[in-house]
Amino acid sequence: MSDAALLQEAIRVLFVVIIITAAYIISTRNLLSLVSAYALQSLTLVLIALSLWMIEGAPVLLAIAGISLITKTLVIPYFIANVQEKIRIKRDIEFHFLNPTTSLLLSMAIILVVYIALSHIMQGTEARESLFFFGAVLGISLMMMGMMVTFSRKRAITKVLGYLTMENGVLLFGLFVTELPFIIEFLIIIDLIILVILTTILTIGLDSTLEDYHKRLHRFHLVEETEEGP
Amino acid sequence: MILLALLFCLVLALILIAISHTAWQMNNVCIVLGGTYAAVAGFILMFMPLPVTTFLVASQYFFIDHLGIYEVLISAVIFTLAAVYARGYVDNLLESGELNKGSLKLFYGAWVLLLTVITLAFFADNLALFWILAELTTIISAMLVAILYARENIDAALKYIFIASVSMLFAFVGLIFLFETSRTVLGEGTLNWTVLMQHAPQLPAGMVVASCALIFVGFAAKSGIFPFHTWLPEAHAKAPSAVSAILSGVLLNVGIYGIIRVFAIAHQTPAARALSGILMLLGILTIAIAAFSMLPQKNLKKMVAFSSVENMGILLVGIAVATPLAIFWVIFHIMAHAFTKASLFLSAGILHRQYRSHLSADAPDDIVDVFRFQPLAAWGLIIGGLAITGTPLFPVFLSKLFILIELGAVSLYLVGLVLVLLFIATCALGYFVIINFTRVTPTGQAPEVTPYATPLTMQGPVVLLLVLVLVLGVAFTTGEVSFLNQIVAELRF
Amino acid sequence: MNASFVLYMILNTLLVLALAPLFISLIKKVKAATQGRAGPPLLQTYATIVKLLKKEVVYSPNSSWIMRVTPYISMAAILVAALFVPLAFVPEEVGGIGNIILFLYLLALAKFFTALAGLDAGSSFGGMGSSREMSISAIIEPTTIIVFAALAFVFKTLSIFGMFSTSAGGFPAPTLILMGISLFIIIIVETSRIPVDNPETHLELTMIHEGMILEQSGRNLALMELSAAIKLTVLMALLINLLAPFGLATTLTAAGILLAAVLFLIKAGILAIIIGLFESSMSKMRFFRLPNLFAMAFFFSTLVIIIEVFS
Repeated sequence: MSDAALLQEAIRVLFVVIIITAAYIISTRNLLSLVSAYALQSLTLVLIALSLWMIEGAPVLLAIAGISLITKTLVIPYFIANVQEKIRIKRDIEFHFLNPTTSLLLSMAIILVVYIALSHIMQGTEARESLFFFGAVLGISLMMMGMMVTFSRKRAITKVLGYLTMENGVLLFGLFVTELPFIIEFLIIIDLIILVILTTILTIGLDSTLEDYHKRLHRFHLVEETEEGP
Repeated sequence: MILLALLFCLVLALILIAISHTAWQMNNVCIVLGGTYAAVAGFILMFMPLPVTTFLVASQYFFIDHLGIYEVLISAVIFTLAAVYARGYVDNLLESGELNKGSLKLFYGAWVLLLTVITLAFFADNLALFWILAELTTIISAMLVAILYARENIDAALKYIFIASVSMLFAFVGLIFLFETSRTVLGEGTLNWTVLMQHAPQLPAGMVVASCALIFVGFAAKSGIFPFHTWLPEAHAKAPSAVSAILSGVLLNVGIYGIIRVFAIAHQTPAARALSGILMLLGILTIAIAAFSMLPQKNLKKMVAFSSVENMGILLVGIAVATPLAIFWVIFHIMAHAFTKASLFLSAGILHRQYRSHLSADAPDDIVDVFRFQPLAAWGLIIGGLAITGTPLFPVFLSKLFILIELGAVSLYLVGLVLVLLFIATCALGYFVIINFTRVTPTGQAPEVTPYATPLTMQGPVVLLLVLVLVLGVAFTTGEVSFLNQIVAELRF
Repeated sequence: MNASFVLYMILNTLLVLALAPLFISLIKKVKAATQGRAGPPLLQTYATIVKLLKKEVVYSPNSSWIMRVTPYISMAAILVAALFVPLAFVPEEVGGIGNIILFLYLLALAKFFTALAGLDAGSSFGGMGSSREMSISAIIEPTTIIVFAALAFVFKTLSIFGMFSTSAGGFPAPTLILMGISLFIIIIVETSRIPVDNPETHLELTMIHEGMILEQSGRNLALMELSAAIKLTVLMALLINLLAPFGLATTLTAAGILLAAVLFLIKAGILAIIIGLFESSMSKMRFFRLPNLFAMAFFFSTLVIIIEVFS
């Protein structure tokens, strides 16, 4: 076991990285950097899980770190970046309801509200260290920030990234509040991958003409070739 | 064992679909699979002592109790009939070029996958497992919505996925809360529904309110409850009608089923009062929104979809009342609504085929001479409409009546309010039917549309469903009553 | 006022004066390198300032005394402000020197007179520059105050000297990373760097700071340029000594101070390179997009306050 105090300090630094990536995801208009910010955020989550594993020693944390590393920092970002290249959209400058500045200010309020609400709700549970409590607050806040991205962006592909950010928040929350059985975490990741694949493919459909769309579906081998297509 | 059998059936069906060449072969697989599930469910229902836990692999994850088998039976029947209907319907979609022939395997593959996943979801004992399966149903059904060759469908599917999935994440946070609560109380964390039910009275109220409220957010979105209902009419209206029937008849039940299960836990704690209030408010708002959205509605399938929203609101009100009798009728209403709504969507689908040349996505339906071209579908819609609005002799009448009576014990003003709202919804539906079905081409003029020869496979399910609905409303056997009572007893209301 | 403080005042001022032009050149060099140019030599800014000092001053016939005193006031205010931020050696606090609020006011005083001088000559470019500068100041003001308030919250003191000696003493708090981002954004805004203003062009449509000093000439211009350079150095020193304070001398020894000065040179050099790279990676923002940048700094520093207050 390494020095627990040092590890806790490291986790605090990682929290800060998460906040920074979240703020970046909310305010950036460049799609490619959005994907890299998401990958960085996932990597931070992996590191947090690893540090927690070194403190607590529960093997499930190691497993979570491993599976997140493979799926969330490598496979999903790669896949989305690939799709972005295909649909040739570089920027997402349209927003519903909230522009980035408002979202940032709003997320500040959200963090405050979540903090107060959680400290009320979690009074009943066993006394927690401030680190774990703050992790939970950050998890929920990250989730709300992801939701803002999902609902304020117009492009489906940025919506997907918002959803992924939300899921990161849920994972963070789960890491600090309790230890879920690994099988559950694993199934969630599977679900995430299917969702990402489906939505991005649908996105290709939205962002191209329909004839193009079907050609592209062939390229993804989702639909078999037919001669007498309409 | 049953789990393995289910998975075996699924894999077999997928292989058969993969190697089959024509649409009909694939369709046969779907019908047979649905029929098999219905038969197995019927067999378990009749001949096995419930709840079944011993026959399953990993028994802390799956179990079969009365509510589960009841829901599975409903969905299997609807899936089978919808599959029969899809035979003719898909043929026509292919002819008109709305569906690409290459997508057929995807369509039927998703169909059998959806059926199996829903069945597994109803058999799940672990709430987290149920959550994941429910989430999968969203994704697979969105795929079925997006299968048509049109951009609006992709739009509707994406909207559906995002609203439902985002809300479901909240439900997952709620589940984490619940898990942590159970860990503080029981020593070891669990999301096993049976265990949670046994220990429910010990759970602290504050945490239960928070976790259940979050879980309700997710499942409410899945069943189209008020603030999250916006995806529902679009997805239902844009999907192929066979899929709409499934969405409305089966998928909405998944959300309500989750709410019932979780509320059954909360009901045994002091948290029940606060949660009942939330559910009651949401339920009445949902009915109101649905009723007022139905008034100006010009599109038939959207009209029927909003009627689904309205019925989900009634179910929520019934759950909020939470007396044993109310829950009894809620369970009954689930079945009544599922069958009636499926028949309505199937009839609407026939009209959709008949008048499609005039139908764009949001445009009003140009229904002319309906009794001349499609008498069966017209009568199906009229009878189904009468049934869904709660005319006596039909099952919805019974459940609505008794839920309202139980609501009267809570507040008479609420009864009045809900009655007014239901009246508005009924008027909207009636007005729509009268306006559209009485439109005829003046004599002497040649009708603009060519009649669509509705195949027998499309007419059969409509008739069957209507007969089923009528039987359900008229014949109320003691076996049925005792079965429903057992469900209520298992839920400990 | 003891002898060590007098020594500090002399040393710090000399160091700032000596190093400030270097960082300006360094940033230019980095930007030139990213664009594939050779760029000016590192000592170019010194040469420019010396050359300007030798030239005669020309005043517009319309200008008043404000034009004449502004360079001196600006230079004096900035130099006093430079006293507040120790570069290499942190002495005992004396009087109100080092107070963070006074520091902000001194910067504001210099800015105020610069803006007035921009208006004074009556040229349209100067007026435009002044009006933009004041609008941006008005928007960034709440952010600046929150950032410095957050600093005061983290270190539980209003004195910059106190902050530096605390940070030199131990491992910096993780929240300081957030503060670092906020301070970085403030540096960018306050010294008119790229997403906000372009310090290199005299394009009438985009210039802000250059617009204001367009009418200055000769040694007055030299003073204005030098005070801008010192402002940059001082703000950079603030960021560096809070975030990476290792090597900072707190006792008065010749070796320690020398080492600290060399370390500061290296650290500030790295920061200047980072600023240069940041500038080259960005394009100038539309004026109305700027609040987004400020909101980011605001967000991070408010978060720091929330964390500090609640935990």
